[in-house]
Amino acid sequence: MLGDSTLVFIAIGAIFAFSFYAVLVAGQLSLGQAGFAAIAAFGSVTLGPSPDQVGDLPALGIAIVIGMLLGAAASVVLGLPTMRLRGVFLAIATLAFAEAVRILIVNSESLGGAGGLAVPKVVTPAIAWVALAVVAYWFWRQGPSRYGRALAAIREDELAARAMGIDVGRHRLQAFITSGAVAGLYGVLWAYFVRLIAPEDFDFAAAIDGLVTAVVGGSTLFIGPVLGSGFLTMVPEVQRAVGIEAGWLRPVLSGVLLLVVILFLPGGLASFIPRRLRMPASTESETHGTLTTRTHPRPGDQVVRLHGVTKEYAGVHALRGVDLEISGGEIIGLIGPNGAGKTTLVNLISGLVPSSSGEVEVLGTRPGRTPVHRVAAAGVSRTFQHSKLFGRLSALENVLVGAHLVSRPTFGRRLLWLPSARRDERQALAHAARCLQRVGLGEKARVPAAALSYGDQRRLEIARALAADPSLLILDEPAAGMNQPEADSLSDLIGSLADDGLTILLIEHNVGMVMRTCSRILVLDFGELIATGSPAEIVDNPAVIEAYLGSAPDEERSR
Amino acid sequence: MRKTLTVATVAAMALTLAACDSESSGGGTDGELVGEGSGADCSIDAPVPVGAALSLTGGAGSYGESQRNGLELAVAHLNDADTGVSYELRVEDDQTDPRQGITVFEGFVDGGESVIIGPTLSNTAFQAQPIAQEGGVPVLAISNTADGITEQGDFIFRDSLTEGQVIPQTVAAATEKYGLENVVVMYSNDDAFTESGYQVFADSLEEEGVQVADTLTFSVDETDFRPLLTEAAGQDPDALVVSGLIEAAIPLVTQAREAGIDVPIIGGNGFNNPQLMADAGDAAEGVVVGAAWNSASDSPENTEFLAAFEDEYGHQPDQFAAQAYAAMTIIDTAVRHSCSGERTDVQDGLNNISEVPTVLGSVSINADRDVEHEAVVQIVEDGEFAVLD
Repeated sequence: MLGDSTLVFIAIGAIFAFSFYAVLVAGQLSLGQAGFAAIAAFGSVTLGPSPDQVGDLPALGIAIVIGMLLGAAASVVLGLPTMRLRGVFLAIATLAFAEAVRILIVNSESLGGAGGLAVPKVVTPAIAWVALAVVAYWFWRQGPSRYGRALAAIREDELAARAMGIDVGRHRLQAFITSGAVAGLYGVLWAYFVRLIAPEDFDFAAAIDGLVTAVVGGSTLFIGPVLGSGFLTMVPEVQRAVGIEAGWLRPVLSGVLLLVVILFLPGGLASFIPRRLRMPASTESETHGTLTTRTHPRPGDQVVRLHGVTKEYAGVHALRGVDLEISGGEIIGLIGPNGAGKTTLVNLISGLVPSSSGEVEVLGTRPGRTPVHRVAAAGVSRTFQHSKLFGRLSALENVLVGAHLVSRPTFGRRLLWLPSARRDERQALAHAARCLQRVGLGEKARVPAAALSYGDQRRLEIARALAADPSLLILDEPAAGMNQPEADSLSDLIGSLADDGLTILLIEHNVGMVMRTCSRILVLDFGELIATGSPAEIVDNPAVIEAYLGSAPDEERSR
Repeated sequence: MRKTLTVATVAAMALTLAACDSESSGGGTDGELVGEGSGADCSIDAPVPVGAALSLTGGAGSYGESQRNGLELAVAHLNDADTGVSYELRVEDDQTDPRQGITVFEGFVDGGESVIIGPTLSNTAFQAQPIAQEGGVPVLAISNTADGITEQGDFIFRDSLTEGQVIPQTVAAATEKYGLENVVVMYSNDDAFTESGYQVFADSLEEEGVQVADTLTFSVDETDFRPLLTEAAGQDPDALVVSGLIEAAIPLVTQAREAGIDVPIIGGNGFNNPQLMADAGDAAEGVVVGAAWNSASDSPENTEFLAAFEDEYGHQPDQFAAQAYAAMTIIDTAVRHSCSGERTDVQDGLNNISEVPTVLGSVSINADRDVEHEAVVQIVEDGEFAVLD
């Protein structure tokens, strides 16, 4: 039943699915791969030497190099203008590109037009499976590397990934180029197997085929595309073998099977395979060097300086004329009624939104002008008011992503099995485990973030932010949803972090906790800084009592 | 785990249910396919296995269905006649997908089929037929009209006239009849079949000395031709020359007549389909179509075929069905030539097809393994194809 061609189609179908997997792991939905494959197929056949001149294998090898380079180059050309697009917009833009390529080939006489180009058959099942093995190996090694985790983080929550210091644009483009090169490999193998390449082989239906294969197989485990291709290639084979009459019944059955898989296995066929989570060996945590190497600003050194900062959202003044300085080692509490502009202020400081006017300077960077990941690299790390964890990653992996800035890239060395990569990975794991233990989540390292209780999610956000070894830690309502004992232990944790030399900016509605924890308190009301001073001064400040404490502190606390 | 079982159970049930009409795969063992006697007296014990790779679903599904009907009718006739040789037909669907085409051909080569018919489309033919050539299995193409099909090797034959054989006759006949001097050519440029048809049209028009005022292209999926037709009408042509599939032919002809273009419309092989008159109605009147099969022929073979097909399927056959039906006549003659269903004997038989009476007329296969028989130029009159004279 398993003929040569079936074996080849399983292998190259899986390779094509990998070109979708390459971007799906980073949360991108691209349909341009058929276009990359077409460029690679027609390009390599036109530019490469014929097998008659140099022999079968050398000709195929050269064609593969040409095809993968062309696919990668095409993906750069398409990727640079489209990488800002998200979701369905990216899908439409890339689909338009693939259609443009197809129509170009249809109208190109030198490429044979609709009639296509004849290509000698060179690819054998062995060649196809070796190529698949190489591609699968690549993605296997990519998964648990720093690069792979960064892509997963972008997929789960792009904003949080950016705040963890990941250069989202560069990572997305890298994933896109990988996809282009792999699609190119598919195009070449297809061309040198089917003997005639026609533009219709790379049409919309082909792109959908590849996407369906990747999704059915599963886009979170590297074996997924192989399973998907095996399944989808074998369905017609099995139908033929059991003698289902050729005709409309077979596509209907295939469709039903596909539906069943999608309905019952949202994670694809790969969800049958249990995911192995790497855990740090408990004994080695101290044997490796530490990843916390940053020299924090000394007490008195300027960490944050805001001068005349204003922020408007469509005519609404979220912040007006805020002047603020924070220096090393301070624990600053930021309080104020809902809508006072607290979150806007921390978004400005961490660089997520630019100010409308005024100067912002944080640890030597200019947030708003400096990209978010550079601000993070300078030592700013934060949690979010509404938890922005990487939901499908385990708690430990969340923290590992947090350690992106302080750990070393490991993907290239993992491909070569260099021992130093393993050492670096272990070190990062140990570091992440220490951060988890520090917030009291050591026992829950394996639990997916989305499955944690609300309080644990708040703590995990702190651990993730800590893993970046920040100089300025911004905590946006970390105690929300915590009971009093939990809030107390959080307060202790913040104190011990300050002892380590961190500067902390704490936004909190729990005024009691702010009073107890902070060395200085800022009060915002209607976008204006109405008071600043020690806890004792704030309590007695009439303006504060008027605006905030006097009005509804109990109501605020009970929320 | 529960989910696993559910999926597995559903899959197994689906396959088991459908497996009820399972049949044993064809393919006789050595020697069984060699019979005694020769020609009309030939008698072979085992049925000769014939594989057909057709596009029953997907883009070319309508053609494949017609071909299957023609083949099944022909095999039923041959087997019912009880003349010593019987056939076991195995029709497989290539889903208009090269991957399936290749796999199906490989299955036939490995499965012991004596001869393979198909595939439906020329592009798939270039991808799949080499497998039969390498495996030493004769192929009889029944609808591939592209150049170079039979050049793929000495096992590849066809009973379908190429566009190059039909269109020049069509253009010559129409030029003579209507005194064409100036025409507009329209074709869909993203389909291998219609594009090669266009090439032949262009060459033939040049040969006949007809001016091409304008050449307009459209896509195979297009259904609105009004803008193109307005453009064409502006050239005030003596005729429209169109290379398109039947899906394009029906709206194009209808919209042309609606737009007041009443010059003759000359179509390629794609127009050669009774559906044109059924769906376009009066608008189809006056459409000139070159064809490999003269549906109005009153030869005994054709008369019997028309009646039997209508009886079996309730509608008139088209050229795809006729060429499929003729293929079995040709294969039967080839098998009887050496009175053997062995692959090389069938190949030998196909090389010796000469003036065999079929529904297509008197058919020969030439040294290039291409078919030779008379083409016909038809015109739609009173809702039927009539010979243009």
